Amino acid sequence: MNISIEKKTFSEAVHTVSRFAERKTTTLPVLSSILIVAGDEGIKMRATNLETGIDLKLEGEVISHGVVAIPAILLQQIATSLTQEGKISLEHIGDIISLKSGMGKSSIKTIPYDDFPSIPFPENPKNRIVLSGVLLKNLFNSISSCASTSTIRPELSSLYLSIEGGLLTAVATDSFRLTEKKIPLSNKGTQGKFLIPAKNALDIAQALPDEDIILSFDDHQCAFVGNTGMIVSRLTNAIYPDYRQIIPKESVVEAIILRKDFEAGLKRTTIFSDSFQKIRIGFNQKKNIFSFFAKNTEVGESSETFPAQISGSDIELSFNHRYLSTIFSLTTAESLSITAAGIGRPLIIKGVNDPSLLYLVSPMNQ
Amino acid sequence: MDKGNPRELWEYVLTQIELSISPANFNTWFRNSFIVKIGEDGVVYIGVPSQFFKDWYLKKFHSLLLKIIRDISYEFRNIEYLIVKDEHRNKSQKENKNPLRGILELPLDEFYINKSDNLNPRYTFDTFVIGSFNNLAYAAAQAVLNRPGITYNPLFIYGDTGRGKTHLIQAIGNQFKKQYQGRKVFYLTSEKFTIDYTDSVQAGTANRFKDKYRQYDLLIMDDVQFLSKKLKTEEELFHLFNTLHDTNKQIIFSSDRAPAAIPDIAERLKGRLASGMTIDIGEPDPESRMTIVRKKASLHGILLSDEVVEYVATSISGSIRELEGMVNSIICHAQVKGSSPDIAEVRQSLRSFTRPQKNISVKNVVDKVAEYYGIDEESIYEKTRRREVVRPRQVIMYILREDFSISYPTIGTKLGGRDHTTVIHSCEKIKREVVVDNELAKEIQNIRTLLV
Repeated sequence: MNISIEKKTFSEAVHTVSRFAERKTTTLPVLSSILIVAGDEGIKMRATNLETGIDLKLEGEVISHGVVAIPAILLQQIATSLTQEGKISLEHIGDIISLKSGMGKSSIKTIPYDDFPSIPFPENPKNRIVLSGVLLKNLFNSISSCASTSTIRPELSSLYLSIEGGLLTAVATDSFRLTEKKIPLSNKGTQGKFLIPAKNALDIAQALPDEDIILSFDDHQCAFVGNTGMIVSRLTNAIYPDYRQIIPKESVVEAIILRKDFEAGLKRTTIFSDSFQKIRIGFNQKKNIFSFFAKNTEVGESSETFPAQISGSDIELSFNHRYLSTIFSLTTAESLSITAAGIGRPLIIKGVNDPSLLYLVSPMNQ
Repeated sequence: MDKGNPRELWEYVLTQIELSISPANFNTWFRNSFIVKIGEDGVVYIGVPSQFFKDWYLKKFHSLLLKIIRDISYEFRNIEYLIVKDEHRNKSQKENKNPLRGILELPLDEFYINKSDNLNPRYTFDTFVIGSFNNLAYAAAQAVLNRPGITYNPLFIYGDTGRGKTHLIQAIGNQFKKQYQGRKVFYLTSEKFTIDYTDSVQAGTANRFKDKYRQYDLLIMDDVQFLSKKLKTEEELFHLFNTLHDTNKQIIFSSDRAPAAIPDIAERLKGRLASGMTIDIGEPDPESRMTIVRKKASLHGILLSDEVVEYVATSISGSIRELEGMVNSIICHAQVKGSSPDIAEVRQSLRSFTRPQKNISVKNVVDKVAEYYGIDEESIYEKTRRREVVRPRQVIMYILREDFSISYPTIGTKLGGRDHTTVIHSCEKIKREVVVDNELAKEIQNIRTLLV
């Protein structure tokens, strides 16, 4: 094999692809390497950790065909160190590959690639939608943090994506809070739902191109196909809880508050929260104020009030402050609508004029 | 190796594969796989974690695997690969305690007690043993499920402790949830109801309390006998009952006695409790008890021999809960030892459940039994064959043998110089009869309590 690639293209590709290589060293060595394929279709880089996989096309010049597997960590280190403009050329002789850039030359021992697994595409991918890569990227990045990090319940450590009536609804929950976000789709016909592990979704978000991509899926596998290549992920094979049942339908009180007030108040009150990270919020309808209160026996206590538009009856509820502050990464709305359904029942936070998002937080015991 | 057992078969296959591929390969590809089932047509189904594995198995390992299982037996025709659900693979992992204390969880959990309806998902009809003692109650439960709120409203189930009342009523709740999705079920004990009520009165939120209970489509209340003497709570229940009943919402009660027999409870409530269907769960007959023992043991994956099952089922009467306790102790012993226990081991391990103290004199036993049957103690030792003496004598022999493990010849000598074969015959006879004859079983149980 003999190829020549722009340094910038090369290092970007290596950074993207190496994310998908296996990081553990106990498995097959070929899984922690990047496979570079030079053929009639151009240059491709592949990596997989058997959960996710990527097949990325690169712009470059193919002088002669061939396949080679190189340890991902090594390649990543080399890519980081490339500075000057220009091209890098890879030439493969025997089990040695030599990288030449400018005046330098390094020879790397390659890994036998026979054991490199094939990257599976969904079997009969009749479920497919087209959507913008940027949108999906933002979606994955914002809601993945709400999914559970424990592996005990695989369905909760996954994102639930459901496609219906021209809408893509994504849900993540760790059973203490829940986010639901909707994205409109251009093609309305497709229907379906699947669970993608949140960890994989985060990796995929890093590698997605900004342009439109085709998302296709079957029962066990999903694929994101763009101009520059393909990313696949295993799907979680479990049943997602019927989360709609836990969204309170009725409300006791609603507050409309400026985002900057809420953010500032929360930030200051957090300093005084106790080891349970508890913060109490209050709705006062008569005075039209929204209040924060926190008390730590070792530090002291703090309370803050902000003007807000309150409709309903007065109520006080306690929450973990970390869960309240998540909302800022979920929406960019200027003002927030906060709805309480009663004592011991979850709180709903939405962005005003942002119907696409719903965030649900479970309260703490009073 | 048992080639019909998927686990053993897979273990054998793994040892073979390990020899033919590299350790890294083996760890990567075979760690999380297992045989799901062996089809009747000779197809072996192997469960793999994802599509990656399925493709790779088909491409690389299919012929190797096929060769290995063909070498074991020609019964195996083919191998198919299934991508298995994540739950199956994670089953063995234990939940680590949640570090975020004090936060109420969103009610997504269906593993343990469901907070929104209090039902324990473990109690289902699948695990419910139906016998002659409870088939009426079971039939009523099914009728209630078919037409909730209409057929039998309220359904009142009563019976002594440990007869499976709670299991039955919770199973109704769980089944109801499955059959009528979106409808609300709530299970609670009368004690919880009382506490809830007093709390709400204290907090001044009695109206919220009322609304809370009136929204349910199926309300299940356990152990209503504890309401006695709680006048205000009774009144609250009375009103709640009326509201639910008038709107055709199903109500289910359980108690340890019939409505009429619950002391110190308002007459009007008593009448209402009895106004639907009142069913008694009786004492389980020996066959049912044997079924229960077998079912409980098989739930834990342990097969008990008929002899052991019979011994466990007949050695104590009454509460199924105690029976479960005995089965659990056997299972524990079996798991420690790694094999199904035989009758001697079982007898040993269950001594604490059943046995009165061991060093009791033969004379004492004769004394008590003679007294129980109201016959002269002397006649036991005599060579008389009168009916009223023969039976007690056989019972004595049976008890001496079963409970005190005295040897047959000794029993013979002590009881007036009888041959040991006579003793064996008597013991066998009682042992046979105690299974079918309820009266006799009861008598022996009573005698045992006398001997303690």
